[in-house]
Amino acid sequence: MRSVKLHARLLAAFLLLLGGGSIAYQILVQKVPLTESESDPVWVVDAQISFEARNNTPIKARMHVPPLESGFTALNESFISNNYGVNMNRENGNRLVTWSARRAEGKQNLYYRLMLTSRFAEPAAKPEDGPQFRAAPPLEGPERLAADALLAPIRQHSADVETFISETIKRVNNMESDNVRLLLGGDRSPENRARVVDLLLAVAHIPAEPVHTLQLNESRDQQPELWLRTYNGKDWLYFNPLDGRQGLPEDRLVWWSGDKPLLALEGARNADVDFGIHRNEMSALQLAQSLRFQDQSSFIDYSLYELPVPSQQLFRILMMIPVGVLLVLLIRSLVGMETLGTFTPVLIALAFRETQVIWGVLLFTFITAIGLSVRGYLEHLKLQLLARLSIVLTFVVIMMALISLVGYKLGLSTGLSVALFPMVILTMVIERISIVWEERGGVQSMKVAIGTLVAAVLCHLLMVWQPLAYFVFTFPGVLLVLAAVMVFMGHYRGYRLAELLRFRAMTKEGDR
Amino acid sequence: MFGIRTWKALRQRGVMGINQRNGDYVLAYNDRRLYPLVDDKIRTKNLALEAGIQVPDMYGIIDTEQGISKLQHIVETHGDFVIKPAQGAGGDGIMVISDRFEGYYRGASGRMISPEELEFHISGIISGIYSLGGHRDRALIEYRVRSTDLFDRISIGGVPDVRIIVLKGYPVAAMLRLPTRQSDGKANLHQGAIGVGVDIATGVTLSGTWHNLKIDRHPDTAHPVAGVQIPDWEACLELAARCYDLTGLGYLGVDLVMDKHKGPLMLELNARPGLNIQIAIDDGLLRRCQVVEGELETLGELADAEPVARRVMFSKKHFAAATLPEQPEAP
Repeated sequence: MRSVKLHARLLAAFLLLLGGGSIAYQILVQKVPLTESESDPVWVVDAQISFEARNNTPIKARMHVPPLESGFTALNESFISNNYGVNMNRENGNRLVTWSARRAEGKQNLYYRLMLTSRFAEPAAKPEDGPQFRAAPPLEGPERLAADALLAPIRQHSADVETFISETIKRVNNMESDNVRLLLGGDRSPENRARVVDLLLAVAHIPAEPVHTLQLNESRDQQPELWLRTYNGKDWLYFNPLDGRQGLPEDRLVWWSGDKPLLALEGARNADVDFGIHRNEMSALQLAQSLRFQDQSSFIDYSLYELPVPSQQLFRILMMIPVGVLLVLLIRSLVGMETLGTFTPVLIALAFRETQVIWGVLLFTFITAIGLSVRGYLEHLKLQLLARLSIVLTFVVIMMALISLVGYKLGLSTGLSVALFPMVILTMVIERISIVWEERGGVQSMKVAIGTLVAAVLCHLLMVWQPLAYFVFTFPGVLLVLAAVMVFMGHYRGYRLAELLRFRAMTKEGDR
Repeated sequence: MFGIRTWKALRQRGVMGINQRNGDYVLAYNDRRLYPLVDDKIRTKNLALEAGIQVPDMYGIIDTEQGISKLQHIVETHGDFVIKPAQGAGGDGIMVISDRFEGYYRGASGRMISPEELEFHISGIISGIYSLGGHRDRALIEYRVRSTDLFDRISIGGVPDVRIIVLKGYPVAAMLRLPTRQSDGKANLHQGAIGVGVDIATGVTLSGTWHNLKIDRHPDTAHPVAGVQIPDWEACLELAARCYDLTGLGYLGVDLVMDKHKGPLMLELNARPGLNIQIAIDDGLLRRCQVVEGELETLGELADAEPVARRVMFSKKHFAAATLPEQPEAP
């Protein structure tokens, strides 16, 4: 017995671990949403490219677009244009889109739209390893002096590449320094300052690369912000050239890297790129489904969501049955309420789905009462059990027909949608209650009937509770956890609540 | 809190709950294959007869509609008898014939019953009106037990019986079940009969239980239930202990009746006996079962060879009531 107990415990632990593990994997790794309503921001980034075409010349517009493995999931990417050919290619780790047309006239508008979300995103792919050294550019005269003068204290105040760069940025942004002003040459734009930082770093042989980023927040007319990044042998480090902040904030999207401009245009003039970003909400589930349509892997693969929709609906109900069964098990073993078997209350709960709880309870009570009174009458006739049951069931069907008819005449047809399934279950329940009555008497059968009804209502309420239904359907590992609880309950040897009352006479309190 | 305190008090007294009975005793000691031996009264009776255990004499079995006509022949030499469904439960379908008069039968209540009525009743038994699940059944015609006068003042109608719980051949608890008006002559506790604890060592009744309450007097006669000596107690215990060897069921409820002339007779066996006996004996079954299990462990492999007398002696020694109630004064 002891070894069996151990075995059962091991089994329960194994099931628990397996189920819990699969749930944890889905939540932590696959990022499956915990609730159905969980929604995520979806950023819609629009770039509008406008220019004026020169007459009779071929037009070619090359624009950088963000790499797809940017730390965000790209839901959708579209290029909208009229009569332009679209081409995509990669260059130095950047993606470039090329719109081209043989000829066009007047003002032209091209659109690029990218939808991004941070859920289900792979961590950003690291850019290829960068160089750790570069040759110093040739500098002459005052500039050479200014650079050296600036670099000397920076060297003193820094310990490594990281602090060196921060220090450099800080110094370059100090406009009171003559050296800085000399190097900036009167142009205080961020780009120029970044150029100066880059220059100083170059003198110190530290490689750096400008990156152009956009911030994901609701905005119009946002212009790409310039950042610097450098490779320290392990990671890429990002710096804001304006204030020396290190580390790219999570809401920044790297659009492209390098010195090249955003847009290169041939055969046109007055180019302008306008960025508009706005935020949408999308439920995580829809997100996953839309990802799936793009053949991107998502948690939908190998989950029940893969099934065709009608089967999904069936399984949404079916997967809840073990939940109901466990509830009945607990009601019976812990509380001590008597029910007809374990499965019958769950079946009745399923029937309640179609009849609505209130109607279901009324129907159940009424028809059971009728059925049992017919039974009581037949008892006097000394009929055989089978014949008696058959008559009872026939009367139950007649009663149902009458109720439906009356309900229909009264215009209650919606409340009493008479479906086959609930009726069959009701009939079966009446048969079983009758058998209990035969075997154990009327009082007992009433007890059992009430227990069954209460258990069925509780089961129904639990089984139609949407958050739970979603959870069980999405994380089927829950069923293994339930099975573990069931195995554990199989070895539960404690008292039932009802027994505390039953044996109360045996305690001192009961004596009084 | 009420619940936790009660829980602890019950645990401390070694009260057995349903979960524990089902899991640790019925499931562990009773092989399901053996259930048919006790579900069918005819099979139980045959087993008992082979082993020389006293049971009410079987006069005959009727198992077909054609066989009903044999009834006349079967009961020819017996003035009174009982007709039972072999697989009935809770005392349903039992008909007691106490006398005959001019070709009519007299029921236990004195009502006259025509032969046709009797035959109809048997036909009902055979078709399964009273059997669990409505299977075809057999009708058993047997000796009518004549209750001893000892329990006259504390029982109403019907025949009182003694329920002894036997674990692995060791009697662990005993109670006298007395019919009441409410139970309609039946000795089933959940039908309203009362249970009176019996001291294993002496066979003297203790206090009683009725509907989960502790009681001292019979609800109908108002006579005290304690202090009655059950006759042939030693024989009762040995008979109950042997039922384990008979069936192989380790956890068993043995129902005995006290016949005025024949002494204790085994009536039926129950593979999942109820737990209310604990209130009657005012002691926990679990506690007692663990005493026996401890003994079984010390005996080890020798446990199977332990003779009945030694097992009974062990039980008498360990399960004696601390104080015995006084004998009620004679009427």
